[in-house]
Amino acid sequence: MRYAFFPGCVLDGAASEAREATVKVARALDIELVELPGWTCCGASHAQDVDELAALAVNARNLALAERLGLPLLTACSTCTLMLRKAKAALDGGLKDKVNKLLAAAGISYAGTATVTHLLWALVGDYGLDRLRARATRPLAGLKVAGYYGCHILRPPQVMDFEDHARPRSLAALIAALGAEPVELASARRCCGFHAVFPAERDAFKMTGAINADALAAGADCVVTPCPLCQMQLDMRQREGKAATGTAGDMPVLHLAQLVGLALGMTGGELGLGRHVTPADHLAAKVGGR
Amino acid sequence: MEQVVYRIRRFDGRKEFWQEYRFAHEANKTVLWGLLKIKETVDPSLAFVAACRSAVCGACAVRVNGEAMLACETPLDALLERFGATLVLEPLGNFPVIRDLVVDWEPKAARLAEAKPWLVPREEFSAEAGCRQSQAEFRRINAQTNCILCGACASECNKLTTGDDDFYEPFVYTKAGKFVADSRDGAAADHLRPVLARGLWKCVHCQECVTKCPKRVAPAEDIAALRRASIRLGLADNQGTRHARAFAGDITKTGRLNETTMAVKTDGLLKSATRLPFALRLLRRGKLNPFHFPAPVEGIDGVRAIVKAAKEAKE
Ligand code: SF4
Ligand code: SF4
Ligand code: FES
Repeated sequence: MRYAFFPGCVLDGAASEAREATVKVARALDIELVELPGWTCCGASHAQDVDELAALAVNARNLALAERLGLPLLTACSTCTLMLRKAKAALDGGLKDKVNKLLAAAGISYAGTATVTHLLWALVGDYGLDRLRARATRPLAGLKVAGYYGCHILRPPQVMDFEDHARPRSLAALIAALGAEPVELASARRCCGFHAVFPAERDAFKMTGAINADALAAGADCVVTPCPLCQMQLDMRQREGKAATGTAGDMPVLHLAQLVGLALGMTGGELGLGRHVTPADHLAAKVGGR
Repeated sequence: MEQVVYRIRRFDGRKEFWQEYRFAHEANKTVLWGLLKIKETVDPSLAFVAACRSAVCGACAVRVNGEAMLACETPLDALLERFGATLVLEPLGNFPVIRDLVVDWEPKAARLAEAKPWLVPREEFSAEAGCRQSQAEFRRINAQTNCILCGACASECNKLTTGDDDFYEPFVYTKAGKFVADSRDGAAADHLRPVLARGLWKCVHCQECVTKCPKRVAPAEDIAALRRASIRLGLADNQGTRHARAFAGDITKTGRLNETTMAVKTDGLLKSATRLPFALRLLRRGKLNPFHFPAPVEGIDGVRAIVKAAKEAKE
């Protein structure tokens, strides 16, 4: 299995541990990730608020670069996945010729063969959970893990059509395949608030706090999410979230690749568990690792 | 399947309670058929609204297993397959409830009126000459015209659920956006100012409205269009605009986001200084590297040329 890897800005910056974990996990599973040369920011649903056509064209360039490699594009971020898939839908839905005229300025063009997937979908859909289970050298027995989807990996379903947005199963199935115990979260599909943390700070913190409170009440040892933006919000802003909802108690929040890495026998250090704001490094010991 | 169960959240004007109704399954029916069956054969006191039965009037939106939908157009069998033999029916979320599944539109209509959801004709139009527009101009507002004011988009809106004193129902932005984009309308700012004052930049991008709309309207996209229109009109002195511009600016600068300068660009130096404890928290864990300035990506000249071409194409 080979993919063109689109790390996205967050894996390049504040969530660098997610990038390292993703790369290590892929290597351990014999999944080849070729970093997309010259990739640019997906716009994160914000650049789109300034200039829709420019944002679309920039993502068309990202897609065209992947076509040059002849590989499916893989991200480890729900918002990147949504932005790139939305761009593809718009291009394939009739804007291809118009945008190709703009791409000509950079001597590149979009043919329509590019596909965009997410690490979660690649593991559950392409790689397969039976294979993953067989590779889990250190099954996460006894670890209670709450799968948190957030928004963009599921919605809108017209663009993100991997599973039923109203009752997604992929995370629970993956958690179980790694030997851990999936914990259901009532707020698993609610918004963490990340994208409006500047203009709607108070709301964002309430949303953040509600999800953490939910995970605590459900008795989870940790939350796992396929989106590094959700991870940052739930982890780095956990203190504000707790204050906004009057909740006490820490809840570690893992990137998807970190949870997989733990089951593959990697150490907390290798997976960057010590780099989270809400302590998560004790989780490695809890599953019998370091 | 022999029996279908509707578990309905009821409200008699004073107290809320749950009631279960069972009835014999019939193939190829709708959610509304089930409600009518209960009302006609089991419990005439059950209150709900429906009129056209053709997905046109927007009256019958309800929540089934947490998802807002039109009762008259949703096939019962599809839901039974999705959620099992027991369906949980509730009134729309983020609406005051009058009785059972009937919600109160009065306060919503008043909020909608604030955005002046009517055409303010341009000066050159008159009763004699009419109010013509080209097909291309109509296509720009065609999608929004499909809104039937069913309220489904508001039901699970994450921002609305968290607080509605500073945010509108998604359809309010859609209606405002329609008239801002309408070539016949001459008062864009009159539709824009109210929505800018109430929440235009507070949408959390959760995409529930786009997911729930039965008429393929995409209120979140209308919100983005209104944001662009407000920037074009110079109504840009706000956090949201600065934040969005920081993203757009970084793309042409290096191709990638500079997290270190993001807060300063969004909030200005003074307000972002109040975020120092947060920044320190990140620094301590190595999450923020103030010396990390992304180098321009391979092919940055091409990126800049594409953005420039996009700007020119619009002019
Ligand atoms: S995308 Fe915005 S308007 Fe739409 S449901 Fe979410 S918060 Fe509400
Ligand atoms: S935008 Fe869609 S969901 Fe919202 S009121 Fe209009 S038709 Fe209903
Ligand atoms: S009854 Fe009119 S839309 Fe359903």
